[in-house]
Amino acid sequence: MADITGEEGDFTVKVVTHPRYVDTSKCIACGACTPKCPAKVSNDYNEGLDKRKAIYVRYAQAVPLKYGIDPAKCIKLTKGKCGNCEKQCPTGAINYEDKETTRDVQVGSVIISAGFKPFDPSAYVQYSYSKYKNVVTALEMERILAASGPWMGHLVRPSDEKEPKKIAWLQCVGSRDVNTCDHPYCSSVCCMYAIKEAVIAKEHSHSGLDAAIFFMDMRTFGKDFEKYYENAKRSGVRFIRSRIHTITEQADKSLMIEYATEDGQAKTEVFDMVVLSHGLEVAKTSVELASKLGIELKSTQFVKTTSFAPVASNRPGVYVCGALAGPKDIPLSVVEASAAACAAAGKLSAARGTLAQTKEVPQAVDVRGEVPKVGVFVCSCGINIASVVDVKAVAEYAKTLPFVEFVENNLFSCSQDTQDKMAQTIKEKGLNRVVVAACTPRTHEPLFQETLQAAGLNKYLFDMANIRNQDSWVHSAEPEKATEKAKDLVRMAVAKVALLQPLNEVKLSVNPAAMVIGGGVAGMNAALELAGQGFTTHLVERDAQLGGNARLLRITAQGEEVQPYLDGLAKQVMDNPLITAHLASNIKNVEGFVGNFKTTLAGPAGETVVEHGGAIIAIGGQEYQPTEYLYGQDPRVMTHLQIDAAMMNGELDAKKVNSAVFIQCVGSREPERPYCSKVCCTHSVESALHLKEHNPDCQVVIIYRDMRTFAERELLYKEARAKGVLFVRYDVNQKPVVKKDGGKLMVTVRDHILGRDLLIEADLVGLASAIVSHKNTELAQMFKVPIDEDGWFLEAHQKLRPVDFATDGVFMAGLAHYPKPLEEAVAQAQAAVSRAVTVLSSAEMSLSGTVAFIDQRKCVGCGVCWTVCPYQAITQDDKGLAVVNEALCKGCGTCVASCRSGAPNLRGFTTQDVMAQIEAML
Amino acid sequence: MSDNAEFSPRIAAFLCNWCSYGAADLAGVSRLQYPPNIQVIRIPCTGRMSPKFILAAFRKGVDGVWVSG
Repeated sequence: MADITGEEGDFTVKVVTHPRYVDTSKCIACGACTPKCPAKVSNDYNEGLDKRKAIYVRYAQAVPLKYGIDPAKCIKLTKGKCGNCEKQCPTGAINYEDKETTRDVQVGSVIISAGFKPFDPSAYVQYSYSKYKNVVTALEMERILAASGPWMGHLVRPSDEKEPKKIAWLQCVGSRDVNTCDHPYCSSVCCMYAIKEAVIAKEHSHSGLDAAIFFMDMRTFGKDFEKYYENAKRSGVRFIRSRIHTITEQADKSLMIEYATEDGQAKTEVFDMVVLSHGLEVAKTSVELASKLGIELKSTQFVKTTSFAPVASNRPGVYVCGALAGPKDIPLSVVEASAAACAAAGKLSAARGTLAQTKEVPQAVDVRGEVPKVGVFVCSCGINIASVVDVKAVAEYAKTLPFVEFVENNLFSCSQDTQDKMAQTIKEKGLNRVVVAACTPRTHEPLFQETLQAAGLNKYLFDMANIRNQDSWVHSAEPEKATEKAKDLVRMAVAKVALLQPLNEVKLSVNPAAMVIGGGVAGMNAALELAGQGFTTHLVERDAQLGGNARLLRITAQGEEVQPYLDGLAKQVMDNPLITAHLASNIKNVEGFVGNFKTTLAGPAGETVVEHGGAIIAIGGQEYQPTEYLYGQDPRVMTHLQIDAAMMNGELDAKKVNSAVFIQCVGSREPERPYCSKVCCTHSVESALHLKEHNPDCQVVIIYRDMRTFAERELLYKEARAKGVLFVRYDVNQKPVVKKDGGKLMVTVRDHILGRDLLIEADLVGLASAIVSHKNTELAQMFKVPIDEDGWFLEAHQKLRPVDFATDGVFMAGLAHYPKPLEEAVAQAQAAVSRAVTVLSSAEMSLSGTVAFIDQRKCVGCGVCWTVCPYQAITQDDKGLAVVNEALCKGCGTCVASCRSGAPNLRGFTTQDVMAQIEAML
Repeated sequence: MSDNAEFSPRIAAFLCNWCSYGAADLAGVSRLQYPPNIQVIRIPCTGRMSPKFILAAFRKGVDGVWVSG
């Protein structure tokens, strides 16, 4: 993207496409070009640890899987000689004359997700990253451990490619440091990735790797991260609280680390390898782009956003997501991506679908009852298959198989002209089943299924024989055996396809109304965004008032006042004609499924039934009520929410507090709640700064286990230290003690540096109390969604589907998912709306034909299938027998395997289909 | 198979479409080489894997069954 002109709703974006020198419409990713390319260059995908060619595909899973030429390294492009790839390419895709093109794109909103740049640790002279071969960055370590990396996942060190027995990880390289680099922030992700690398390296090691992580504060604040940390400790990963000042290389290229222990002793230890856990920074190119586009950055160079609009830049209509707007991990980046999509689509919702085109598909002919007439198309894939497999022999063999009516060998079965011809042949020969022996169904099945549809055949009357990816490419040295295998694969596919039946794709109407459960920050934002996109929304709140926990919050980490914002939100919700707020109401019952839910609410006016197509669960969490530290026995001992409320209503006058002590991890990171509550460290620092601001002489002590002021919250921690707030670390086995001594409140804590107890007199003891879930199993059961052992709602995938449930049409946002700061709750609410709109915006949904069905004559109603179904798609009918809800079934077939009487079966993968393949195998 | 030839086991592999079958494709993209005496059957999920399939494969004469997902 070179430039954006115009304004919100009507931008012109200038897009520059760099020349690729390979025509992507012709490239079939066969890879014939690469072996003959003479230019070997450093492979940036593997962080320069190995070589690639000048014509290459960046990595095996690249989308689109098309090759490209590196113009700086290509001999033809730089010197005018060579041209090997052009000679090798079977489809004529190489174009050395390719030129840069520029085009203008008209859009209404823009989302920038330019990401981050890993910090270059060369600046740390004491670590000699550029000089010592066995000092690597964490990203290099990722590649070393990866199966697609330079050593195929074998744990070796770069200097001698031998397996290391001891590896050290050094944390905070390029983070929390203003001396070597100007990065006062925490990069958020390095503690977790270092633990992950240590655990995986131990798994890959043959000799019981000794892994040690040198850190300052262990920041495992995300969902299930603390458990991962504890498991790593149990598996033997060593955690040493120290910042390393020197690395010295030994004669055998091992590395000696000098460090100081917590009690001040100097120590040395030799490691075979050192991994630098380098942080995140904004690339210079992103800074320049932001400046050109008029997008405001913070002092840290990350894009400035507010807690209340976490994905909006200062320029209207331009949104951001991911690490460009602050260091963050994958789950939050994915949340923000959906949130940005929601924000970007919000104001454009009137135009939704206006550019969409509907494809006309001819009515499929009914082939039921006909004798199978199978057509087999054997692909040469240029020379990809044909150079190894004798495709002519395979085609001849196919003619001998039962029910085969027609066989043809194609140069490229996927090319447009072959597709047209194939459709013609199906019609002319009256074929009613098709087998294509070619690449792989994972990439090409949809294409061939379209051809079937174009020829008037049901698309499920099709199967592929994988004779390229799983045959010619992997048995290239054994052409005869590969040919025999191709015949076997074709025989198996023909045996299966002859049994296949046409399948129906059920269409479901979708009720374009939404329900949001919970009227806190997440719930209100979700309701407003849904209404903003034009959807009728029912907001259900069990209290008589909207606002939830945020009613007790004073400020956000960025210092914005929460109450005026909350009042504004509540008013907008109440004023919005598309939102019905059901206050003082609870969910009594939920029936139905994606697109068509029927929910019974119990409220002040009795029971009402609401129909809706999707639901967002945003029921929040609650503050843990401590039993420790004299809480409830002395009014001077308060939780965070109590302190905030008292500061706001004037009961607590910050000017009159002369000594305050905050105790962290009250109820968090304990055996009964083995998780970090994520927000409490920052909250204590905010309160401490508030006290210092109103009374600079106030003595404020924060007693902590690890300060987890992640990301840019680290700046608050830094400011607090600069203003004289004292931080004393405690050990979980030696917790602080709060006692009453006459009228005085005394806090005793063991100082680990002095090795002595500190006694602090306090006017106020703030308890950083945990956030706990509502553990609402009834709601979870009603919507058929899971909760984890701590009571948090469990997402479909922790990294990639952070607001979805495995159950379609139900989404989540806010504290119901896990403790999180306000801006993340807002982002999650927007993300959940974005995901919900994918359902609500379609008038009807087409479901896959590959679903389970029950032969009720064989069903005894034992209940095994509906117990094992991961999607809750099977229920009992009024006769007590199993019945499949096709709207919920994902076609996994678990029910089929579980049934002892063989009542369930899976369309497209019936027991008979698979048995036919097994029978045809040898 | 002749009795004199070196024993070459026939292996039936039942691979989940979403992971192991994809991995087998990726092995091809990466041009990894392995012996051809393995026959892959694609299943939608290892949850679909029925003990009957394993028994049927052995009855058919395979020497080993690999279920992966």
